[in-house]
Amino acid sequence: MAKRILVACGNGVATSTVVASKIRDYCAKKGLAVQTTQCRMIELHDKGDGYDLIVTSGKFSDPDIKTPCIMAISLLTGIGADKTLEQIYQAVKD
Amino acid sequence: MDAIANGIYVAFQAFLGAGAYVMLPVIITILGLVFRLKIGQAFKCGMTITCGFVGINLLVNLLKSAVTPAASGMVTNFGLNLDVTDVGWGAISSITWASPIVAFLVFEILGINILMLVLKKTNTMDVDIWNYHHMMIAGILVFFVTNNFVLALIASGLMAVISLKLCDWTQPLVEHFFGIPDVSLPTVSYISSIIIAAPFNWLIDRIPGLRDINFSIKGVQKKIGFLGDPMILGFILGCALGALALMPVDQCFLTGVNVAAVMALMPKMTSMFVEGLMPISEAAQKFTSDKFGGRSLTIGLDAAVVVGNPDVITTALIMIPVTILLAFILPGNHMMPLADLAVVTFRVALVVALCGGNVFRSILISIPVMSAILYAGTAAAPYLTAYAQSTGLTFDGPIASMAGTSLTQTAIVFWSCISANPVVSIVILVAVFAVVWYVIEKKIGMEKIEAYAAKMDEM
Repeated sequence: MAKRILVACGNGVATSTVVASKIRDYCAKKGLAVQTTQCRMIELHDKGDGYDLIVTSGKFSDPDIKTPCIMAISLLTGIGADKTLEQIYQAVKD
Repeated sequence: MDAIANGIYVAFQAFLGAGAYVMLPVIITILGLVFRLKIGQAFKCGMTITCGFVGINLLVNLLKSAVTPAASGMVTNFGLNLDVTDVGWGAISSITWASPIVAFLVFEILGINILMLVLKKTNTMDVDIWNYHHMMIAGILVFFVTNNFVLALIASGLMAVISLKLCDWTQPLVEHFFGIPDVSLPTVSYISSIIIAAPFNWLIDRIPGLRDINFSIKGVQKKIGFLGDPMILGFILGCALGALALMPVDQCFLTGVNVAAVMALMPKMTSMFVEGLMPISEAAQKFTSDKFGGRSLTIGLDAAVVVGNPDVITTALIMIPVTILLAFILPGNHMMPLADLAVVTFRVALVVALCGGNVFRSILISIPVMSAILYAGTAAAPYLTAYAQSTGLTFDGPIASMAGTSLTQTAIVFWSCISANPVVSIVILVAVFAVVWYVIEKKIGMEKIEAYAAKMDEM
């Protein structure tokens, strides 16, 4: 079954689209099927559970959420993007 | 010869008159080609964006037909005239990209940014082409109203300079309060709030008693977190509108479902815009970073990266009902906040950072910030509505959003450029901004702003 990643940003539209598409491309190259869903960070509190991984485009912390969380601002700035993509891949690969 | 020139002119006019469905794919393909995309890829970008536009058109129409009967019912029953529907920033950005002059403005703003970097007048390299729409809408509406291309260029040029400077000046807050170094946020929907927030914050600092109140409110997320879900919020709002219009229960429910559907579906359509623009945006990013890679610059990103801050979320959740209340009680306001209640986070994020996470003070300052948005939205609604219809959107009644000319910064630029005597008002605007620039960089100094922000580390 494809791994489910919840990608969150401010409006669930702009930066999360960029981040989600980079994650899908990277994982596809590695031969891993992932399914990404987008939402806004304000919704994570209610939606965060039930995914294999949460990736946010900016800083986010909420002690109530049990799902592991990775901050991926590097995918927007381009600095250290490969490292973050690898980290995301490692987190969901098994 | 004349016949040929005339033929080209007629063809060009027909092209402009054909509306966004025809123009968008062509303009975006050209934009893609200029940024060296392959023709197939460029065309696919154009088509993706156009399909998003078609979807947004359907939703705006659905929203207007869902809330118009409720809005007119509210007028008859309570004299509440909230006929200007907030259709959301996505719709406004889509009609911005559908303008015939949009390609010129993209290069103008990019050019101004590069020029200011070369002249060392800014530290921000704005690679976020997507959010150029916030700056371009000023120029595009000015062009629509005045038919004057030069005024349009002035409007979006002013937007670019003001955004980049506000962004430089507030960068220490991004670094210290939000904890994201080397990044600044030129997103107008976020940065515009500082124009009202900074003077209010200065004022509160001088009021004994009031300046010392600092409480954070815990558990807001648990209690009213559901307001953060646009679908639920839309349903509640739609039902409430129906109830205020004294509609029968089934009609209230139906209005609720329609508004919920629009609020849930709008982001999906808008994300097609982002998807289509992504290859172009990446090409522009590569171009600028190749040119300025060596210098220590801050990278301009979408403010989406900071609105996950818990104090911002708390303030936004509280401001959602407060904004609705403001819409009802502010005399002269005609705007009914709907779709953009989902992105109140952007409007309050900088207020919260300026207040160092003091939620009480953030809410106090957010009230004038949001009121200004409602009034500016009401004032510009006739122009925005006429322009939206000229791009091919079909709906009845006036529209607005909490983006575009509703934002304080954009409103100031827009009204200055379409005034009866634009030369005078633009000169005044430029002079005022020059004084602010001088005061901030020479009198106050960036060191002092840096020190103010540094106090917020690890708060």
